[in-house]
Amino acid sequence: MRRARKTRLFILLAASVVLALVVAACGGKSSSSDTTKAAAPATSIKGATVTMWVMNNGPHPVEDTQRILQPFELQTGVKVDVKLVGWDVQFDRIKNAAVSGTGPDITQAGTTQVPFFAALGGFQDLSQYTSQIGGAGAYANGIWKTTQVEGQSGTWAVPWFTEARAIYYRKDALEKAGVDPATAFTDWDAFNNTLIKLKAVKDIGGKPIKPYGGPGKKAFDLVHSVMPFVWTAGGSELTPDNKQSAINSPQSAEGVEFYANLIREGVFDTSALEKDGQGVENMFKGGQLAVWIGGPWVLGSTGRADDKTWSDAARKNVGIAPLPKGPSGKSFAFVGGSNLMMYKNSKNKDASWAVIKYLSQDASQKAYADLMGMFPARLAPQKQIGDTDQNHKEFLQAIEEGRSYAPIPQWAQVENAYKSSFGDILDTAAGFGGKAYSTQAVQKQLDAAAKEADTLLAQGA
Amino acid sequence: MSISETEPKIQPAQPLTPAPPEPPADHALTATARRHTWRRNRFAWWLIAPALIFMLLVHIVPMLLGVYVGFLKLNTFTLPKLFGAPFIGLANFKGLFDSANPIHDGFVDATRNTAIYTSTVVAGTIGGGMAVALLLNRSFPGQRIVRTLMLTPWIIPTFVVATLWQFMWQKDAGIINKVLVDYTHVLSHKPTWLLGDNTIWAIVIPSIWRGLPLPMLFFLAGLQAMPPELHEAAKMDGAGAWQRFRHITFPLLRPLIGIQLLFGVIYATYQFVMPYIMFGSDPGPKADLLMTLIVRQAFDNNLFGYGAAISTLLMLAMGAWVALWYLAFRRDLEVAA
Repeated sequence: MRRARKTRLFILLAASVVLALVVAACGGKSSSSDTTKAAAPATSIKGATVTMWVMNNGPHPVEDTQRILQPFELQTGVKVDVKLVGWDVQFDRIKNAAVSGTGPDITQAGTTQVPFFAALGGFQDLSQYTSQIGGAGAYANGIWKTTQVEGQSGTWAVPWFTEARAIYYRKDALEKAGVDPATAFTDWDAFNNTLIKLKAVKDIGGKPIKPYGGPGKKAFDLVHSVMPFVWTAGGSELTPDNKQSAINSPQSAEGVEFYANLIREGVFDTSALEKDGQGVENMFKGGQLAVWIGGPWVLGSTGRADDKTWSDAARKNVGIAPLPKGPSGKSFAFVGGSNLMMYKNSKNKDASWAVIKYLSQDASQKAYADLMGMFPARLAPQKQIGDTDQNHKEFLQAIEEGRSYAPIPQWAQVENAYKSSFGDILDTAAGFGGKAYSTQAVQKQLDAAAKEADTLLAQGA
Repeated sequence: MSISETEPKIQPAQPLTPAPPEPPADHALTATARRHTWRRNRFAWWLIAPALIFMLLVHIVPMLLGVYVGFLKLNTFTLPKLFGAPFIGLANFKGLFDSANPIHDGFVDATRNTAIYTSTVVAGTIGGGMAVALLLNRSFPGQRIVRTLMLTPWIIPTFVVATLWQFMWQKDAGIINKVLVDYTHVLSHKPTWLLGDNTIWAIVIPSIWRGLPLPMLFFLAGLQAMPPELHEAAKMDGAGAWQRFRHITFPLLRPLIGIQLLFGVIYATYQFVMPYIMFGSDPGPKADLLMTLIVRQAFDNNLFGYGAAISTLLMLAMGAWVALWYLAFRRDLEVAA
């Protein structure tokens, strides 16, 4: 009998341990919210807490965002809980939050990511609200397009800030090479000749300098550096109906080959291919490159004394120029940036919209963009920043001539396929690929990339 | 009341592997005997029940669901449906072996690279570990310090090793090229390690560097537990160093080598951190391992069906390896008759 009672005691203990484990494992999972609940009236947003995810926008992303939102919090009584989600993990986190139904109220997202996230189905269609901020008319065409999704009506995001890539050059290096900045980068021939002349400038003030450098396949934004050359050659990433890849067309191949040929001509510092975007950015700031293609935040950081990656010579001699015109006769720049999206399962939709609306006011647009060296997304404050100086004017021109990718949900995967392909082509051009570089080799690589992209595009069928 | 009623028998010639407990000799396999055994073991079962249920929930069930995903068309568009995504049978598996499918080439490259990586790293760590253990198995001044220093690569996390070696491998600024070309003039020009054909060695060499101390430690312990009389007797009979190693040291260390081989191959095949930290999610055609391929296709490209299919094949391959290993090393695990 004693043995039986001891056994019963242990059965009870074991069962309670199992129960505790099961409760711990399943706990914390909130039930999916009731989406049929009617929206609370606007007057009751006071006291609500809105959770907002931001990415690494500058050296102090959370503090900067909170500072911009402080007047809003005082004015409306809404508390905004800003959380940092790094660029390295944001894609998975935003995706998981959308699919699982638990996440923040608002999130920042890259402009090229919006179609994918919207297609997941976890985000709020904002078209009922956007008339309050001026709708499509308050934004440049290319920027408003980043809120739309092909094949899905509605407005899925609100543009927050914009960036465009342009040419950064060292004024002192060009001077030493005897090149006039006004005509240095006007078209492909001028671009090539400038870099060849810069080859003769071996160093500045005793510090060695190479003509041009760009990242390899380790950089998440490699495609943004190469695609403008494809566009300006008359090529495109996809066919006009967005159903098939056009990266292996003769014009696209010409654009890719122009970029790869910079390596063959010896004006491209191939050690940059080992690095990611940040690594090559630091090479330019450190004074190792005379020409580089980058975004406006680097221009913004010339004024920040706490940014120690700048060498003195580089900091004082930064010049900006638009990307060169190719065979098509037009210059194109990659335009990106970030938008704000609202989760469908948010329990504070009105308060969340109030936050988004506040961040879309011209004043807050300008303030936030100033802090980070980005451009506002709205037309009016954009022009204001553009008028600051000649360098900013060049960036504004780049934004106006800007172009982005097709707004399809599979774009991120197609971009991955292209990134692999471009990376391999650049490696081959630099002699690392193990095979010889030739036009046929490039064509073969691009054909393989097109085949992979076509398979990814066919997913939706 | 005890669980086992006999003491484990210890064989004097096998100091390294303990013998499993034998069932009591007076119990025949009768129904009564089985009932007695069950009642005695019931207590044990109740104690391990929580751990068993936990394992089922956290390991077995997700693994089976993962295998199931390999039979689904789970991608960007069907992701919200999750396990309700369309069932397509073996189409994902067939696609991996179909040369017309773009994913095939990447799969072949990753398999080849993983095979090269696993064989070189396991040979390097076990061979190198054995060599260093033999060298350390004698007393010399500073032996303790050298032994501790030899252990340090193991305590550095793989993430840190990958980050450090990534900087060391850089073509112009990296210390390795500086030593090879500028300081010692072993090579005439600086090779590129982080791009092209050398990328596989860029991950193999740090892996061997980091993995060598653990086998070394095991072998050193085994060597020091070996009775010196065996070597002395062999020396008196005129056996040379190599013969002594081949006929005495190696057979006695076989169980340890077996264990290192088993875990070494599994760990190397599942290696992810080294290439991912050094190269990002796309290490290139020479250094892409199966794990980076799975992560890239499943999470960057949202082709979850393919990712799950490759994972299932990898798991089956490792199961086959364990079975093969068991056949080869079975007798090292059992008590000598």
